[in-house]
Amino acid sequence: MRKEDFEFVDSSLKQDKEQIRTSLTYWKDAWRRLKQNRLALVGLIAIILITLIAIFGPLFTAHTYREQDNDKINTTPALDIYQIDDGLFVYVSRQYRLFIVSEDGVLGDLLVNTETNVNLRYKTYEYNGEEITLDYSYKFSDDPEYKDIDFTFTYKDVETFEKHKTVLNKTYPFGTDQLGRDVMTRVFYGARISLTVALVATLVNLFIGVAYGAISGLEGGKVDNTMMRIVDIINSIPLLLYVILLMVMIDNRGLWTIIITLGSVYWVGMARLVRGQVLSLKNQEFVLAARMLGVSKGKTITKHLIPNALGPIIVSMTMMIPTAVFTESFLSFIGLGISAPTASWGTLANDALGGLELFPYQLFFPSLAIAITMLAFNFLGDGLRTALDPRLRKG
Amino acid sequence: MNNGKIPLLQVVNLKKHFVSGSRLSGKQVLTAVDGISFEIYRGETFGLVGESGCGKTTAGRTICRLYNPTDGQLIFDNIDITNMSEKELKPIRRRMQMIFQDPYASLNTRMTITDIIAEGIDTHKLLTGIERENRIYELLEVVGLKREHASRYPHEFSGGQRQRIGIARSLAVNPDLIICDEPISALDVSIQAQIVNMLEDLQKEFGLTYLFIAHDLSMVRHISDRIGVMYLGKLVEVSDCDELYTNPLHPYTQSLLSSIPIPNPRENSKKKRIILEGDITSPINPKPGCRFAPRCRYAQDICRQVTPELRELGEGHTVACHLVEEIKKGFNHESD
Repeated sequence: MRKEDFEFVDSSLKQDKEQIRTSLTYWKDAWRRLKQNRLALVGLIAIILITLIAIFGPLFTAHTYREQDNDKINTTPALDIYQIDDGLFVYVSRQYRLFIVSEDGVLGDLLVNTETNVNLRYKTYEYNGEEITLDYSYKFSDDPEYKDIDFTFTYKDVETFEKHKTVLNKTYPFGTDQLGRDVMTRVFYGARISLTVALVATLVNLFIGVAYGAISGLEGGKVDNTMMRIVDIINSIPLLLYVILLMVMIDNRGLWTIIITLGSVYWVGMARLVRGQVLSLKNQEFVLAARMLGVSKGKTITKHLIPNALGPIIVSMTMMIPTAVFTESFLSFIGLGISAPTASWGTLANDALGGLELFPYQLFFPSLAIAITMLAFNFLGDGLRTALDPRLRKG
Repeated sequence: MNNGKIPLLQVVNLKKHFVSGSRLSGKQVLTAVDGISFEIYRGETFGLVGESGCGKTTAGRTICRLYNPTDGQLIFDNIDITNMSEKELKPIRRRMQMIFQDPYASLNTRMTITDIIAEGIDTHKLLTGIERENRIYELLEVVGLKREHASRYPHEFSGGQRQRIGIARSLAVNPDLIICDEPISALDVSIQAQIVNMLEDLQKEFGLTYLFIAHDLSMVRHISDRIGVMYLGKLVEVSDCDELYTNPLHPYTQSLLSSIPIPNPRENSKKKRIILEGDITSPINPKPGCRFAPRCRYAQDICRQVTPELRELGEGHTVACHLVEEIKKGFNHESD
């Protein structure tokens, strides 16, 4: 090899190429992995949508959550409409109330009932001075010939029995409840209450649980023993029973009562989790190094232990939110939650119970909301668990 | 070596026992460190060697009060630190630092290099603002890293680089004594030499005193001025480095030294290795007598009944063995 074969490298090439590269932090790395998990992304988007609906939804609906329209009670989300005259459409509610309705489903006025004959099963209504007779006897007929006929209308001596079509309720997309309140607005508003309760209760759990668990784990010995026995005692009481007792004890039933109740009980799981994490971390060399440098216990917890246990904490928190939503709904459902006229998903479901056979949609929408929320949080929680798993990360 | 004869650290009959089990299942006492005594003089390097599980790391951690000693006395620069509270210890902690074994576990992965190195500076409120920043750059350069590394995270570094960061962290508070807990055993051989050389340079530059814990005998020989050999929680031999390697007295030290490979295959195959029989005895609830007796080829009744104390044989050479004199005769005879 000759000397001429070599040439001097330009000094700029010798510089460390790594300098240009931005560093991939723990969170960037976790986000990169979360993005690859489609289910978790769906969950995340669903949560964002639900949150947006909870915040802004009630502002954009035509009704408020407490506004009642005593005429339009129990109207369904889908309307069977009948054409009894040119451009004259009517809708019969399940209680044989007759409404004027537009062809595309905008609900008009309730017609004035002039005569009701229960024995012969007909009702008469007045419309613009003319009489409309609604005969619902076919509905009860056993004759298979009339199987398809529900109602017959007589208006200006013309009899109509054929359903024109089924349209979506434009005025009340999710229908109305037994007090004539818009179910959609109430479900949106319920999202506010349910999510607020869940979020605040989870945050309260987070702070109590993390502080308690971290102190217990780091102190160790007798302190740890005592603190954990207290947790055991709280944990040995059936939590739901305890919550119900607390809710009964605290008279003033409102948003804050349920938050306090949930927050005061559900932290034990978080405390255990954090204690376990701290126990495994506290003998790691970086924590010993901090002790060698004379770092105080409080600083060790906030700077070393909690940041390193954040993955499991976040996962547990995401899983705790649906549990809190569920518990809140359950408590409201059994009548211990939010009081009227405020609505949470649980109270909505409870309200719907009375008319369940006739108006199942009143139960369907809040239940669907609960189910979607729980699923979304569980998907996200699972995704986060994988994304934040330290074993999947190198170095 | 012992010039001036000012002990910076005196360890007197230090014991660390771990109690496990409950009253019901019967208490078990693990005697990790069972009465070790030695001094470390200012500016020297004291090597502590022994096989895995003999209590070297526990000894190191007890000396710097990461563990509370069960018994004995620790005197650091004429201050008794044995029973000091964490609060009283804080100023001592600044003067006594530690370099850890596992460079992957010893750095908090959620902190930047700046925050890791500056932790001691911040805790002891040594420097602030621009001075603090400059000090970090200076430390990075001292340990052979670059300024640009300051804002990075630990996972972006190799094992050797991480160990350098750990060293910079312990240097940040200007310590007198650094306890090196197997600082090189997790590194590649080529990196080991770099780190050891750097530690030697730093010692000269900053007048540091090292307690060097290791099981790599050739590396310990290279860096240490004096060496203590541990077996199952006890010191069996303490001596000057060269003396120990040329004239090992305790049978355990002899077998330990015979395991050092010679980097010449022909010579190595000729070499006689003393292979120890049996396993290391359990440190749980130990019986009286010499700890090494069950594996010692010279062991006699006295060894199984009486615990040998460290005896001084020659200048600065102490051994804990009843049979030193007889073995020495035999050993010399053997080598003749």
